[in-house]
Parts: sequence; structure tokens; C-alpha cells
Amino acid sequence: MKNTDLIKLPFSKNNPILVQVLGVCSCLAVTAQLKPAVVMAVSVTVVVALSNLIISLMRNTIPPRIRIIVQLVVVSTLVVLVDQVLKAYMYDVSKQLSVFVGLIITNCIVMGRLEAFAMVQKPWPSLLDGLGNGLGYSVILIVLGFVRELFGSGTLWGYPVVEKLGLYNIGYENNGLMIMPPMALILVGLIIWWHRSRNKDLVEQ
Amino acid sequence: MKKTFSNRYIFIYSAVLVVVAALILTVVAVSLKPAQEKNQQAETKQMILKTIGIDATRDNAAELYAQNIQEADLKGEPYFTFKGGVIIPLRGTGLWGPIWGYLAFDDGGTVVGAVFDHKGETPGLGGEISTDKFAQRFVGKEMCEEPIRLKKNADKDNPYEVDAISGGTMTSNGVTAMLATAYEKYSDVIPCHEDCEAISALMMEEEEQ
Repeated sequence: MKNTDLIKLPFSKNNPILVQVLGVCSCLAVTAQLKPAVVMAVSVTVVVALSNLIISLMRNTIPPRIRIIVQLVVVSTLVVLVDQVLKAYMYDVSKQLSVFVGLIITNCIVMGRLEAFAMVQKPWPSLLDGLGNGLGYSVILIVLGFVRELFGSGTLWGYPVVEKLGLYNIGYENNGLMIMPPMALILVGLIIWWHRSRNKDLVEQ
Repeated sequence: MKKTFSNRYIFIYSAVLVVVAALILTVVAVSLKPAQEKNQQAETKQMILKTIGIDATRDNAAELYAQNIQEADLKGEPYFTFKGGVIIPLRGTGLWGPIWGYLAFDDGGTVVGAVFDHKGETPGLGGEISTDKFAQRFVGKEMCEEPIRLKKNADKDNPYEVDAISGGTMTSNGVTAMLATAYEKYSDVIPCHEDCEAISALMMEEEEQ
């Protein structure tokens, strides 16, 4: 596989959420609003890329029988480290992030990429693979956050868009279902439908 | 060819890995602790100041706090006073972890400001309690005879009811319970408009005499 494909494919035919169906849990939990969705997207991208790199550097020394434990130690160390630094120097961001720490450690994308890629590939491609998958995840999160906040709360990044447009005065109402997790699942389902109809080779027989 | 690893290697490998990870985290945690604690203390002061309408930055919070807030206690429970009223601390549990806040009353017993925060409520749902929009719902309410309750479709004119958060029922219940606990603890220091009326009635009588 070419290095550019490592970045490009997670956006289309190998998207972690749409095709690998990984990381769905957190994508339902944090996309009720745009801002936490973006913070989560950035944090996961950083953690996937770095843990991919570190595990790839260690891959020849890791005994296969305890590889999952080793991966978890690396991932959680990384996440706690990032959290501690943010708490000290970027307190406001850390307040947004702290709730996601647990979710990042258990994010299937991180474990999935470590198992499927970093354990058997060289460091540079592993870093690119981590970045690509992190960004592929980010795109879906941001789309969901955008749609759910706009139609569920009538705001974007906390800015009251719908109110400013004056739509409430002509009888528009926010869709309460949008801010509930089930609606995120329905939206992901719709995106997968659209995605498969454009990429026929992904459709299972 | 697949490499094989001896048990000895596996034990040593995992021990070294865990010790290295623990060392890194310990060093980082200890060296960053002063900066983190400073942030937390400043944040508490910022929160308290916010209930009386003072927007402090993290840098000037300590100074403004010293100027405006006096610390007091009621049978060992801490609360705060400012020129024209009292501030009571709130402590409780939400859905996933601790929630806390401060509620400021003027001398007439009306809530003039509130602020809430949480450790790990769901962002966009229960996590909404930390927004100004939510805190603003408390302004004008009172805790004279009973604690404030969070309710779905709360009656705006009822001074003891506040609109709950849609999608954040468990957190809203936590806030209600937290307010009830605080009412029990602090009802002696929470000002009451009836007292004011009684006092002003007394003063009127005195004037007439």
C-alpha cells in the first residue's frame, strides 16, 4: 500500500466508522454538540497516531501473548500524560477533554489500528495510518456534531444560529430527538447507506 | 518465522514496561501538580465571583476574591458572604460523577446568580448544567421555604421551580437532590423575603410611633 493511500483511504473506502464500524460508541456519545465532537476528534487523532508510532517501534520486542496488555499500557499512559499536561497548561481545554479520557483509552479505533497495522508495519507508515484513521473518524464526528447541534439545539459552536435567523418566530421548533443518542445511530446509518450506494464494492452479498 | 518468547522474557518485559510507564506518569504528575492546583483554586474563586456578576480571569481571581468575598461558616459548614447577600456552596452527585456549584442570594432572599460545574456528565446533555444558559434559569428564584426543584416544563412564575435539562434527567435529578441537601444545611443563613417584610413592617410601626 502506498503511503498516500494510508492517509486517503480512511476518508473513503476504509473509513473507521463507516466501513470498519469501529469507534461507534464514542461517536454516539459526544456528538450532541459540535465543540465536544471536535475536541474528541482532535484528541483521538493525536492518540491513535502516537500510539501507532510507539507500538510500531516496539513491535519486534512485544511477546504476542501479552500484546493487548502492552498496547493498553502504552495507550493509557499516553492519554493520562496528555490529560495531565492539558490540566496544567490548558485548563479550559482539559475541562472539555477530561470526560473523554476514558472513552479514548477504550476507543476501538485505537486498539483496532494497533492490532491490524502497527504490530506488523514500520513506524513511518504506522504514524500515517494512525493520522489517516484519526482524521477519517474526525470527519464523521464533525458532520454528526454539526447536524445534531444545528437541528437539535438550534446552535452551532454555541452560537444561536436559528434564533438569529428568526425561524422561531415563524413557528420553527428544535427537534428534541436530535440530541438523543439514538438519533446519532440513525444518522450514522443514513451516512453508511449513502456511502455504500456510492461504493458498490463495499456492499456485502 | 514467528518468534517465540520465554516466560522469563515475558515477566521481565511486562515488569519493565509497567515500571517505566509508572515512572513517566509519576514524574509528570508531581512536576505538574503545583500548576494544576493553582488552576483549580483560581477556578473555584472564579466560580464564586461569577455568582455575584464579577467576571474574573484566572489571573486576577485571587485579588478580586479577596476584595469582594468573606468566608464564613455555619456549624462547621463553610459559606460565603458578599456586600448585600450570601453565597452557599452546593455539592452533589450527577449521573457519572460529582457535580457542584454556588448559589448567591441577595438580602431579600432572591437568587442573584448561580454557577454549576461537573466532573464527567455527558457533554451536550447533563453537561449542560455548566453553561450560563442553565445557571441563568435560577436568577429570580428563592429557597425561602423549600429547596428549588428541577422540573420538566417548570412553571416560570413559581419561585421554587426551574426547567430541567432535556436529555439530562439523571443529572437534573442530581441537581435537585444537591439543592435539597444544601437547603437542609444552610436554611439558617439563606435570607428570606418574609423576614424582610417582617422587618420592614416593624420599621414602619416604629416610624408611626
